[in-house]
Amino acid sequence: MVNREQTSVLSQQLLLTVAEQLKLPLLQIARQAEIGQLTKTADLQTIQSTADAALRLLDNYVLGVRLALDQHQLEIEPVSVSAVLYDSGQELTRLARTYGVDLELHIGGRFGTVMANRVGLQSALVSLGSALIEALPALEQPQLKLQLASHRCRYGIVAGLYTDTQQLTAEALRHGRQLMGGSRQPLTGVSHTAGAGIFVADSILKAMHLKLQVSRHHGMFGLGTVLAPNHQMQLV
Amino acid sequence: MPQIILIEPDRLLAETYRQGLQASGHQVVMCASAQAAIYAADETRPDLIIVELQLIGHSGIEFLYEFRSYQEWQDIPVLINSQVPPSEFSDSWSLLKDELGIANYLYKPSTTFATLLRSVTDSLHHASAIV
Repeated sequence: MVNREQTSVLSQQLLLTVAEQLKLPLLQIARQAEIGQLTKTADLQTIQSTADAALRLLDNYVLGVRLALDQHQLEIEPVSVSAVLYDSGQELTRLARTYGVDLELHIGGRFGTVMANRVGLQSALVSLGSALIEALPALEQPQLKLQLASHRCRYGIVAGLYTDTQQLTAEALRHGRQLMGGSRQPLTGVSHTAGAGIFVADSILKAMHLKLQVSRHHGMFGLGTVLAPNHQMQLV
Repeated sequence: MPQIILIEPDRLLAETYRQGLQASGHQVVMCASAQAAIYAADETRPDLIIVELQLIGHSGIEFLYEFRSYQEWQDIPVLINSQVPPSEFSDSWSLLKDELGIANYLYKPSTTFATLLRSVTDSLHHASAIV
C-alpha cells in the first residue's frame, strides 16, 4: 500500500531538485545560442543533445511519480539485464561524447532474465548515467570513464554504473537523500549539480520495490540495484 | 591578451564561455575544480578569475580564501558567476567584497554572456588603472 502523503512530500522534494537541475541545460542552451551568434559557430548537435537530456530527465521524473502513485502501471516481466544495459548505453552515448566521457559496457556472465519493469529499469539506469556523466569531468581528479555493468551477487543480479571515483560511498548517498530538496548541491562530493538524475533513479527503483545502492564492480565504485533472477525461466 | 582562469565545473558550459571569451580577445584557462585552479594560477599569471561557487569537493568560497591568502594574488580581480543566488550572501556581503575582494557577483541563470563580458572588461580596466 502506497502512503500517498509520504509520496507527495517526497515527490515535492524531488520536484524541487529536478527544477534546480533543469536550470543547467536551459542555461547551456541559452549561452550556446548567445555565443553561437557572436562567433557564428552554433553547435546545433550539442544544443540538441542538451535539450534531449533535459527532456529525458523530465520524462524519467514523471515515470517515477506515476509508478509510485499507480502500482497498476508497474508491469513486471522477464527482462534481460544485458539488453537493458546495452540500450541504456545507446541512449547515453551522445551525452557521454559531449562531456568527453568514455562509456563502456561490461556484462560479467550469462545471467538469464530477471523479473522487473523493463521501462522503469532502463529509465533508472539512464537517469543515473546522465547524472554521473555530467559530474565526472568536474571531480578534483577527473574520471572520464564510466562502465555500465552487471554481476552476480549473493542476492541476485546487480546492474549499475561504475567509475574509479571513491566519492561514491553509502554515506554520501545517505546524506544526499536527507538533503534532497533542501540543498542546492546535496551530493557535494559527487556532483556539482542538484544530482537530480540520481534521485530520479532512486524514486523509480523505489516505486519498483527495488533499491538504489552503492556497489563495487572489479575494483570500481558505483551505484546500482539488485534484481531478482527469474527462476521460472531458468527451469525452462 | 588578458589571461582569464575560468573555474566552471560543467564541461559544456565552460567550453561555451571559453569560446565567447576567446572570440572577445581573451586567453582562457579552464578549471573544473578549486585545486586545479590553484595549480593553474601558479603556472600562469592570470589577470582575472571567474569562479562558480558550487564545485565538487572544495567550494568556490574555500578556493577564494586560499587564493587570497597568497600575497601575489591579492590584487587579481575575481568575478563570481554562480548558480547560487546572491541573496544567500546578503548577510555576508562585506565578507565577499572586503575580505575576499570580489569585483562583482553575477547570478548565472539571469546573466547573459554580454553582461559577463561587460563585467570582465570593467574589472580588467579597473585593475589596470590601479596598477
